[in-house]
Amino acid sequence: MSTRRTREFFARGAPTHAPSRAGIVAAIVRKDLTTFGRDRLWMILTPLALFMFIGIYWLMPPRVDETLVVGVHPPAMAAALKIAMGVAEGDPALTVVAFEDVEAMAAAVADADAVPEGVERPLVGISLPLDLLLRARLGQRATATVYVGTNLPEEVRSAMATAVREVAATAAGAPLPVDWTADDVIVLGTDRAGDQIAARERMRPLMAFVVLLTESLALASLVSVEVTQRTASALLASPARTVDVLLAKGLVGTLLAFSQGLILLLATRAFGPTWPVLLVAVLLGAMMMAGIGMLTGAAGHDFIGTLFYGMGFLLVLMVPAIGELFPGSAAAWVQVIPSYGLVEAMVGSSVYGLGFADLAMPLLAAAGWVVVVFMLGWWALGRKLVQT
Amino acid sequence: MLSIWRKDLALGPRSPVLLFAVVMPVLITLLVQGVFGSLFERPPRVGIVDLGDSAVTAAALELEELRTSRVADVETLQRLVTDHDLDAGLVLPAGFDAALRAGERPPLTLYVAGESRANDRAIVAITTIDLLRSVEGRAASIAVEVVAPGGEGVPLQVRLVPFIVLYALFAAGVFVTSFSFTEEREKRTIDALLASPLTMNEFLVAKGLFGGTLAAAMSLVTLALNGALVGQPVGLLLALAIGAVMAAMIGLLYGIAAPDTKVLFALVKTLSILVFAPALWYVFPEWPQWIAYVFPTYWLLNPIVEIGQQGAGLADVWWQLVIGAAICLALVPLLARLAQRVRAPVAA
Repeated sequence: MSTRRTREFFARGAPTHAPSRAGIVAAIVRKDLTTFGRDRLWMILTPLALFMFIGIYWLMPPRVDETLVVGVHPPAMAAALKIAMGVAEGDPALTVVAFEDVEAMAAAVADADAVPEGVERPLVGISLPLDLLLRARLGQRATATVYVGTNLPEEVRSAMATAVREVAATAAGAPLPVDWTADDVIVLGTDRAGDQIAARERMRPLMAFVVLLTESLALASLVSVEVTQRTASALLASPARTVDVLLAKGLVGTLLAFSQGLILLLATRAFGPTWPVLLVAVLLGAMMMAGIGMLTGAAGHDFIGTLFYGMGFLLVLMVPAIGELFPGSAAAWVQVIPSYGLVEAMVGSSVYGLGFADLAMPLLAAAGWVVVVFMLGWWALGRKLVQT
Repeated sequence: MLSIWRKDLALGPRSPVLLFAVVMPVLITLLVQGVFGSLFERPPRVGIVDLGDSAVTAAALELEELRTSRVADVETLQRLVTDHDLDAGLVLPAGFDAALRAGERPPLTLYVAGESRANDRAIVAITTIDLLRSVEGRAASIAVEVVAPGGEGVPLQVRLVPFIVLYALFAAGVFVTSFSFTEEREKRTIDALLASPLTMNEFLVAKGLFGGTLAAAMSLVTLALNGALVGQPVGLLLALAIGAVMAAMIGLLYGIAAPDTKVLFALVKTLSILVFAPALWYVFPEWPQWIAYVFPTYWLLNPIVEIGQQGAGLADVWWQLVIGAAICLALVPLLARLAQRVRAPVAA
């Protein structure tokens, strides 16, 4: 306490009435936030993690590249290739680049620097014989060459070889083996061809979780230090009751995690028309992390112990967020992980623009888990405080 | 020294850091092999409802370029495609093959997931036509040669192996060594040890020995798990030994520099970028390789990768091993000098 404050304290005299519960909780919250602000480790790691994830988000491509760029020689065969692949004009699936020269096409496939100016780099180059049409009509065998780029997936290589065969079949006048019209291709679900959800949008919940969990580790570290250095015992010797300390810890943890999560989501422009849903999801996530922070802080005997308990939780809670990177619905066991509802709500709101009505179930499930985790953390820390 | 090594070995399993060093390389290997492969190099997933035991289904199941599965009924297929658990789905009615061979051009319905990529849809469509033509028995008369003018690439899973090996080396060599050292410092057990006939240098060697042995063992396990034990065993063991020594020495440097575990944690978090940087050049081989030479850890990683993964011999990498050993030797006086700083307060 500074000299001025000491003078003021004695000038005021001893308090004549017991401080209110809210006042006690607020005082502990202030103390914890000050302690957090003085902790160089978390003051470095918190902005570092935020900066890193925001940087990664903006460095990642904003759209999914779902276009196959194919070079064709001779140029006259470009249209035949599109027909063979059943791709309509303007379809994002295929871009055909016509090459006058085979060597130039092969060089462009092999080396990005060899691509002529103003032309998209082909992943594949298809060289068809000039007399293909004639040979096909006469039933004579022809040879075509497919130039493939480094690391081209097997399915694309194979599809290109198939496309060449189909061009030859079309040239020979062979009809499609099935009666296949545009009506026979039925798109189920929202058609996102050409408008896919970018990987960075899918990664956002994962980033948010790591940021939230960093704050949970910070709270755990704070709690662990208080327990091991017996600051908690000193607090309980004051008018503060166990419940006040627990409430304050919960508030601090929620506040820290919520603010960091909010910064990340704001910086990555996650808030869309259904922003209140996302806000509720982040708040629930922050409360869950506060519960985990109390739990791990009470369980760990030292900094490393606390850290590793926290990492254990991190690995499990990250599973649903990692699952979002993959197409399709999550496995049943993933759906029972406490963070599943939060991730669903975050993705639903920020990516698909879903509202409360659509996301009621995941939000309710998340809220249920928040109560369970928070109560567990409260119980573990309360027990530890009583023991000390 | 051996007593300290034995003590670390006996008490080590209780430490979460050791658990981390042993479990994480295995976990990362599983993740990279099982998850990253399917995340970035994922063939389109197709479901087939076959109502007539069609040869198309049998042929599709054999294909490597499609991940094909049988689906019981049309409703299930529609649900799986709608949820994007499949990229596309085909329904083959009874008598489909007979109609196909008779040239009747039977109708065929293709369900496509709204969230499937446009290029995947095109690949599914063209591959399906090829399958149908093969069953129809009227294949086009054209031979297709596939040429890779830029050479065959290396799959991402393989390119990530150096990163996993480096992680195994450092989780054990750097993290275990440094945390073990700092823990002794924090709990002041180092004072008691140095009050015995044990010298500071012997203490450093004992700590380094434990982390180094574990680093060599874990990197060997990681190489084996990733199928990267193709080169000369003698050369590989030598490269691993030099790598483990360097990792342990860096661990000791961290341990000496950090007064407590919190600072050590911050050091590990921030300096790891420099330590792991060389692994990036394996993931992005198109980057100028000379930049990787600047990082000391390149000289411990590259011989291991060249021998273990690319099958090089000792004759090919001996000069790299000499550079690695020279870096280790250069670290010795630095360590000895910095260790004085730890010894001074203890002596006082």
